[in-house]
Amino acid sequence: MRILLVEDTLDVGEAIARRFKAIGHSVDWETSGAAAADILDSTGYDLIILDVMLPELDGFEILRRLRRAKSPAPVLVLTARSEIEDRVEALDLGADDYLVKPFDFRELEARARVLMRRHAGEPTNIIQCGDIILDRASRSARVGRREIQLKRREISLLEILASRPGRVFSKDELLQSLFGFDEDVSPNAVELYIGRLRKKLDCAKARIVTLRGVGYQLVPDDTE
Amino acid sequence: MRHLIFLLVLFMSAPATAQAIGKKPVIFPALSTASATLDIHAATDLPAMEPLLRDFQQAAPDITINYFEYVTNDLYKAADEACRAGHPIGDILLSSSVDQLMKLANDGCAGAHRSPETKRTARWANWRDEVFGFTYEPSIFVYDSRMVPPEDVPRSHADLAELLRRRIDFYRGRIGTYDIRLSGIGYLLAYSDARQTTTVYGRLLESMSRADVVTRCCNSEILELITGGQLYIGYNILGSYAYAAMLKNPHLRIVVPQDYTLVLRRGALISKDAPNLAAAKRFLDYLLSERGQRVSREKAFFFAEDGTLPKGVDGPETLKESGVARPIRIGPSLLAAQDQAQRLRFIADWADVLFGSARRPDDPPK
Amino acid sequence: MTRNDSSLFTRLAVLVSLVLCVGATALAIAAWYYARAAADDAYDRVLKGAALQMADSLTVDGGEMIVDLPASAFELLGLAERDRLFYRIVDPEGKTLTGYADLANGSDLSAVRSEPIVQNGSYSGDPVRIVVVARAFSDPALSGWAHVIVAQTTEARRALAAELTTRAVLLVLIMSVMALAGTALAIRYALRPVWRLGAALNSRDSQDLKPIEVDMPREMRPFVGSINHFMGRLERRVSQLERFIADAAHQIRTPLTALTAQVDLLGQDKLGAGARQHLERVQQRAEELARLTNQLLSHAMVIHRADAVRLAPVNLVDIARRAFRAAVPITLSPDIIVSFEADESDPKVLGDAVSLREAIVNVIDNALRHGTLSRLEVKVSSEAGNAVIEVEDDGPGIPREAWESVTQRFATPKQNGGTAGLGFSIAAEVASAHGGTLGFRERNERGFVVVLKLPLLTGEGD
Repeated sequence: MRILLVEDTLDVGEAIARRFKAIGHSVDWETSGAAAADILDSTGYDLIILDVMLPELDGFEILRRLRRAKSPAPVLVLTARSEIEDRVEALDLGADDYLVKPFDFRELEARARVLMRRHAGEPTNIIQCGDIILDRASRSARVGRREIQLKRREISLLEILASRPGRVFSKDELLQSLFGFDEDVSPNAVELYIGRLRKKLDCAKARIVTLRGVGYQLVPDDTE
Repeated sequence: MRHLIFLLVLFMSAPATAQAIGKKPVIFPALSTASATLDIHAATDLPAMEPLLRDFQQAAPDITINYFEYVTNDLYKAADEACRAGHPIGDILLSSSVDQLMKLANDGCAGAHRSPETKRTARWANWRDEVFGFTYEPSIFVYDSRMVPPEDVPRSHADLAELLRRRIDFYRGRIGTYDIRLSGIGYLLAYSDARQTTTVYGRLLESMSRADVVTRCCNSEILELITGGQLYIGYNILGSYAYAAMLKNPHLRIVVPQDYTLVLRRGALISKDAPNLAAAKRFLDYLLSERGQRVSREKAFFFAEDGTLPKGVDGPETLKESGVARPIRIGPSLLAAQDQAQRLRFIADWADVLFGSARRPDDPPK
Repeated sequence: MTRNDSSLFTRLAVLVSLVLCVGATALAIAAWYYARAAADDAYDRVLKGAALQMADSLTVDGGEMIVDLPASAFELLGLAERDRLFYRIVDPEGKTLTGYADLANGSDLSAVRSEPIVQNGSYSGDPVRIVVVARAFSDPALSGWAHVIVAQTTEARRALAAELTTRAVLLVLIMSVMALAGTALAIRYALRPVWRLGAALNSRDSQDLKPIEVDMPREMRPFVGSINHFMGRLERRVSQLERFIADAAHQIRTPLTALTAQVDLLGQDKLGAGARQHLERVQQRAEELARLTNQLLSHAMVIHRADAVRLAPVNLVDIARRAFRAAVPITLSPDIIVSFEADESDPKVLGDAVSLREAIVNVIDNALRHGTLSRLEVKVSSEAGNAVIEVEDDGPGIPREAWESVTQRFATPKQNGGTAGLGFSIAAEVASAHGGTLGFRERNERGFVVVLKLPLLTGEGD
């Protein structure tokens, strides 16, 4: 994935760039707002990590131009300013997420991953089963009025199960869908995720049923 | 019962005509246990006052009344001397000669009294809450209907003067009036006549002089003479006495003069430092009260300020509304009448006109 | 506004009343004095007139003085209805012709000639006003000055004086009352700008530091001017403080971020076991430092905003949801169940969204760091006039005796877990600035709950 990092603090910029490169992304790093604006005019990115306090042209301005140009690239804003209005403003101007400095680098990585995947054009419709509602756009899940924080793979798992309620998915099928062929993962991982998901959907009006030796299915309560 | 007989005896023995009785009172004993005495010194005929006294005793049965009767001048003299000496005679003084009462009050011989009853009294009948007028008595003409033909009946002072001039022979010696040398009220009426109309008064006096007018100290004597047929006409007679006489002698007639009628308020005054002050005040309140006024109108003095003239009186229906009434106001102007010099001269002039020579007022023709 | 004695209105009213009272008293005394004089004057004329009439009636006839007192003179005197009157007429030889022989016996009649003399005296125990007039006779038989002395008691003139005085006093009283009422109105009117200014100051928001623009009379302008000057200074201070907080945040956070970045870089290199252990400690401490810094700045900001920010109706569910998303890291252990639930009441409160959000973030952050073992639930609901945000975790909770102390700065709920920092302190600060409370619910079998209550917005709009 292609990432534009706009950060004027060298130590920070270096660390971020190295981290994302280390996991296989290509990172363009700019230290001035003007330069960043220039490069954005010509190049498309899968993610923009934007510090708001920049020399010449600040992050808000860049964001404003970007959105005016109808660029769909997700933007993750970094800020050191305490007024949360900055953050709110950033969200209003079209930032997709933000982090307040100093932040945890693993958190930055995780949020960036979420944003990039969303940008990769996954389905944006809503799936419902029983009182479980899965919003694939915001990748959030609700049970009734209760919003549940789900991990990436948990969401994916729920997505697969909920896309066809009642259908039985074999463990191998799920393993492949969740991790692909490349990763070398033990089939036990599926059981682990199923267990977590079951716990998080504890009170829902749909259950994950284990058919021993066959696979798993999501069954809404009212069908029984 | 014994009381009644005693009273009756007393009355019978009392002289019918009022003379200065001196210190001998008529006593009205208390109807119940006597707790107070009231000395009344009055220049008012007892028969007129008696109904009031008796009715008062109904209301105040604990009061014994000593009634001393005087002629007006004697009463004034006695009261004036007593006042100067500092020990008043009696508790309450009643007199038709209010000018004398005024003089007494002006000289500080009266005690003031204020009560709901005194407040009801007309302004012109109350001076300083000391002198109160409690009757309403017109000064009128009386005639004997047996002797005076209807066409001769005088309806005004001028009529009377004219009648005496016209039929002087018939009326010579047949007309009577007050002797103002003896009578305070006579003087007050004559003085007021003179002030009403100088010319008519002069003419009348002259006519009376020519007709050999008969003068007496008191109304009662004149009325007696008319009743007895000696006199035909009485002039300046108080309506109250005349009416009482008329009730007894139907041939007497009363005329209320229609040019003007002097109206007298009989006066009452509480002596300063009266020994029986409470009783005096009760009696005064009674006289001024509705009840006292009613008894006065019905039984004692017959005339009243409000209401019609009593039956049988020749005159306007109501005195007050007819406009002929000339009330003698109880006020300081009466003091002019009481001036010694004035009085002496007025009486001298009067006597001079009537009798041709000025006789001393204290030297009456008796 | 007339509550206490130091109110301007009361002071003015009392002062004016005092002046009016003194004035009214003086006027009443003057009225009494003039009324007496007027009554004396009026009745003296009557007295003189009557005496002159009497003197005029004197005639000489045959060497003798004739007294023919006119009744009209007495009627004139009778105008004073209740007064007793006394007179004496003295001929040129000094002989009393008529009247009260002992009246004004001692006085020197020869002093009276063409002008009547009026004086006070007493007769028969009563105070009287005495007038003496003289009349010259030049009859061959009788010549010289005859005198008429008239005295009258003073009841009528006293009564007239009393009546005049009473009326005058009544007028003075009415005028005083009117003046007082007028003054009260005038003072009220004059003081209205003061009240208006007070109202304008009262009704403005605490963070509104714009100059006051109220129409003021000239006398009030310096006052308003200094208020505005003061407000200007205050506004500069406030914005300075704001800028300082912002600058401080930026200035501290940036190197801090650089520090953690470098430490992070260090962690990606291959290190020996000992070095790695040290690095982890550094990472831990850096993280602690970052968090403490955030909390300090947040605390400063929250306190600043409590005084400086206009409260507005806000949707608490939105704020809580955003706070929830900001406070729960994506990197949180997947074994922890984290949920957010808002009931259908959709509570709205009058508040500062930024501060509220900061408060909720801090409570959630605290629960995640010190409480949660496997479960964290955030619930928004409303009950009995309050919006309620509950943050429940399945951790050990905070013992009741520590509840009060944890809302104070740098309280340490755990002996070994480092400092709880300012999290609860911030939340409590925000709660009280919004008229709400931060409380705790005793640990039960489900977990321990931190409860933030805020008064619900009543009425729509505004």
